[in-house]
Amino acid sequence: MEHSDNSGTANSGEFLTFTLGAEEYGIDILKVQEIRGYDAVTKIANSPPFIKGVINLRGVIVPIVDLRIKFSLGEPTYDQFTVVIILNIGKRVMGVVVDGVSDVIQLSSDNLHPAPAFGSILDTRYIVGLGTVEDRMIIVVDIEKLMTSTEMSLVEAAVA
Amino acid sequence: MSIDMSQFYQVFFDETSEHLSSMETLLLDLDVDSPSLEDLNAVFRAAHSIKGGSGTFGFTDMTSVTHVLETLLDRLRKEELQLRPDMVDAFLAAGDVLRAQLEHHQGGPEADAGEIEAVCARLNQLASGEAAAAPAAPVAAAVTAEAAPEVRRTLLECVLPASVVNVPDMLKNLLDGLAEIAALDFRQRPDAANPRLSLVLTTLKRDDELKEALSFYLSPNEITLSNPDAAPEAYGFFDEPVVAATPAEDDGFGFFDDVPGLPAADVTTSDQSDDGFGFFDDVPGLPGAAASPTATTRPLAIPDEEASGAYGLFEDAAGKRENLPNRDITPGNSPAAIEGQGYGIFVDAPCGVGLFDNAPGSQHMVQSTAPAPLGHPAAGATGAATAPGRRLTDSPAIETAKTGRRDNDKTVTAANSETSIRVSVEKVDQLINLVGELVITQAMLAEGASYLDPVQAEKLLAGIDLLARNTRDMQESVMSIRMLPMSMVFSRFPRVVRDLAGKLNKQVEMKTIGENTELDKGLIEKISDPMTHLVRNSLDHGIETPEIRVAAGKSPKGTLTLKASHQGGNIVIEVIDDGAGLNRGRILGKARERGLPVNDAMSDHEVWQLIFAPGFSTADVVTDVSGRGVGMDVVKRNIEGMGGRVELESSTGHGTRTVIRLPLTLAILDGMSVGVGGETFIVPITSVIESLQPRLEDIRTMAGDSRMVHIRGEYLPFVSLPEAFNLPGVEDVTKGIVVVVETEDGKAALFVDELLGQHQVVIKSLEENYRKVPGVSGATIMGDGRVALILDVTAVTRMGLTNPRRRLAA
Repeated sequence: MEHSDNSGTANSGEFLTFTLGAEEYGIDILKVQEIRGYDAVTKIANSPPFIKGVINLRGVIVPIVDLRIKFSLGEPTYDQFTVVIILNIGKRVMGVVVDGVSDVIQLSSDNLHPAPAFGSILDTRYIVGLGTVEDRMIIVVDIEKLMTSTEMSLVEAAVA
Repeated sequence: MSIDMSQFYQVFFDETSEHLSSMETLLLDLDVDSPSLEDLNAVFRAAHSIKGGSGTFGFTDMTSVTHVLETLLDRLRKEELQLRPDMVDAFLAAGDVLRAQLEHHQGGPEADAGEIEAVCARLNQLASGEAAAAPAAPVAAAVTAEAAPEVRRTLLECVLPASVVNVPDMLKNLLDGLAEIAALDFRQRPDAANPRLSLVLTTLKRDDELKEALSFYLSPNEITLSNPDAAPEAYGFFDEPVVAATPAEDDGFGFFDDVPGLPAADVTTSDQSDDGFGFFDDVPGLPGAAASPTATTRPLAIPDEEASGAYGLFEDAAGKRENLPNRDITPGNSPAAIEGQGYGIFVDAPCGVGLFDNAPGSQHMVQSTAPAPLGHPAAGATGAATAPGRRLTDSPAIETAKTGRRDNDKTVTAANSETSIRVSVEKVDQLINLVGELVITQAMLAEGASYLDPVQAEKLLAGIDLLARNTRDMQESVMSIRMLPMSMVFSRFPRVVRDLAGKLNKQVEMKTIGENTELDKGLIEKISDPMTHLVRNSLDHGIETPEIRVAAGKSPKGTLTLKASHQGGNIVIEVIDDGAGLNRGRILGKARERGLPVNDAMSDHEVWQLIFAPGFSTADVVTDVSGRGVGMDVVKRNIEGMGGRVELESSTGHGTRTVIRLPLTLAILDGMSVGVGGETFIVPITSVIESLQPRLEDIRTMAGDSRMVHIRGEYLPFVSLPEAFNLPGVEDVTKGIVVVVETEDGKAALFVDELLGQHQVVIKSLEENYRKVPGVSGATIMGDGRVALILDVTAVTRMGLTNPRRRLAA
């Protein structure tokens, strides 16, 4: 999997924002394929808890990750309001479960501030920056880097 | 209008590589002491086809190699020379060179020029072995005076292909090229409207050198060289030249002749017939010739009787296929119609071509024996198709011109094309994917329909049943498109074995068993490399030199057996040698040297597995054959990548057997669905032996931990799927079901909650978007749209048996 070295694409442009618990995150809209509801997931044995399993997306087997579990944010409840963002990363398709999708925002690189280095669960490596829109703080994530990282164990170790 | 020749390149590449393969196979099968003329002819034809094709496409390097190859072959098949083993070697080397050149044209690395030269020199030397005594190379003997290295005048006549005539630059290059070696005196300059080139050359060069100079544009046998002063007599070939070949009418494409015997002379030595420039049997105004472009510009009325004469010929020739001329040609039509008719002939050219195949003497079989009356109308038909085709620029005509330009061998190919077509693999794969989706949809329908009232929905249910059957049949047919026989892989090994055995000074006999076993094309392609490795290993490390073999009381000639067979849902490919076998001591020694964890108590099976470790080699000397230690690990990885497994069996002094097990196809599988903790899993039906409900007393423990099931006197390992997959399954053993499966390690009993049904499932890759999951070989989509995982029974059994969480449920 090749990492996007030209993270300039993620530095400014349009971002899809979603909520995880009380926090608001943003990802490059160009990586988003579609947004759909959460339905029957086939569990995969012996996989980390945040990997919910795989679904059938029109004939394609797509793994589903619950970011709420991964980041220990919010309550992992699954009902008709649960949202799955289907991402297109490299040649792979994968889905992430979030609490809700807010909107699509414009962020220029001026509005992005580097994230301070905390020893947080979400490694600052995967954070492009913190953006401010009105009074909301949006954590802009390099979703490609995150999803292909070894800690997500979504891809073979040798590939990541 | 220029033609983009590159669109035909792939066809040429495909055909040439087929010809090279068949040439190699024929050469290897050739009995050096008494070669069959038929085989030699077949080799010659293959070489000739390559030459023709490469000439057409302007790959002159290949043309020149095949040319020398052909010269030697020609002398052999005419029995002017005796076949010797070194000739076979030279032919094989030439084949390799051609393959390298072909790869170069396909974008590969450049072929080694030194090697090409060496091979050509070798072939030339062999060919000229007794050249002094033998007659000169085949030229149109009746017409051409024997070439001598002195200044002389030669009349060169040829019809240039549309691809040359229509591109001014190419034409200019051609003429410039000629001007460099000879003084030119044009009798007729070719242009787009008239592709005929006729000029008198004053040169030192010999005829074959002249032809060589044009080989970029034309294959040598399409060029007529003759004595210019005898030009009028050039037509003396024909007994009634005036009637038939009036230049105004057909520009001399047709060589008309009412002597049936003449054209029946050896086709390859008679340039005209080789070209397919028609020999027409007493045909005044053959439709093809008559419909030549003149028809488009001025009215040309064909007298009825002449015309029907022509058709009569076709009818005779066609025999059963009278419909061809009858349909296409109606005598005495308007010029436009005539053109249309002529056109119709070339559009139908493949038919026309097919027709000589029906004839008892198909073209290249016309070896001076004379099934002539059928033989040349056939040539005539090709000629007719060819000639106007070069003038007309519509694509079908060009296509036909191309067909027409092919030599005799291609007529066979063209005939075959009626029964088989070349389709790109992507198209087939797309079809397979679509059928896969169809199967899922069908399963979905069947599932939905199962809730309907069978009385009320009787018709619908019957329809769904029918759909299920049709879908299954369709799936099988579609899958079979991708299946190829194992001989595709095996056929390359006689050469490998021959070369290696020679290099290693060993005597090896190769046997193949079950080469008709069919395997998916994708697997066929991938299995080739690992097998080459295994064969090389067997030859290098396995089979001993004759002296050692004799000392060990074995026949000096070692045997290497390649075997393919079906076993359940697998194809099993075996590479068996009767050599020295693996050396346990040496493998253990090497393993210790490399710091691998080994001990002397290891079973043979475990020891043999060591050679699959990366970088492992027991060879004392690194040769160019093997010993670098890259090999067995790659073999293993490749085969596991295909969903297969490799096993080794060896017995010291008696040989080694490597067994490769591969799934038959990667796309579809018959499966039994089982429920475990609310999830559905698919067990490949081919590995299921039986299912039963165990009784509590059948479950035994061993060492207080490992559970076994006692089934009809057999104790089978008990593998609980809920435990293996960490799922909440039924606790009470007697409430669940045991599925007895055949794994690669023997039988095992898989414990599941319930049996759900039997389905045909389309295998979907989990790895495409996710990664490999232990114990699971893939996923599929069930009728309700949910994903079910397909179990890899061997892996899941191993997993379940090593799972530390094992506890007695009962």
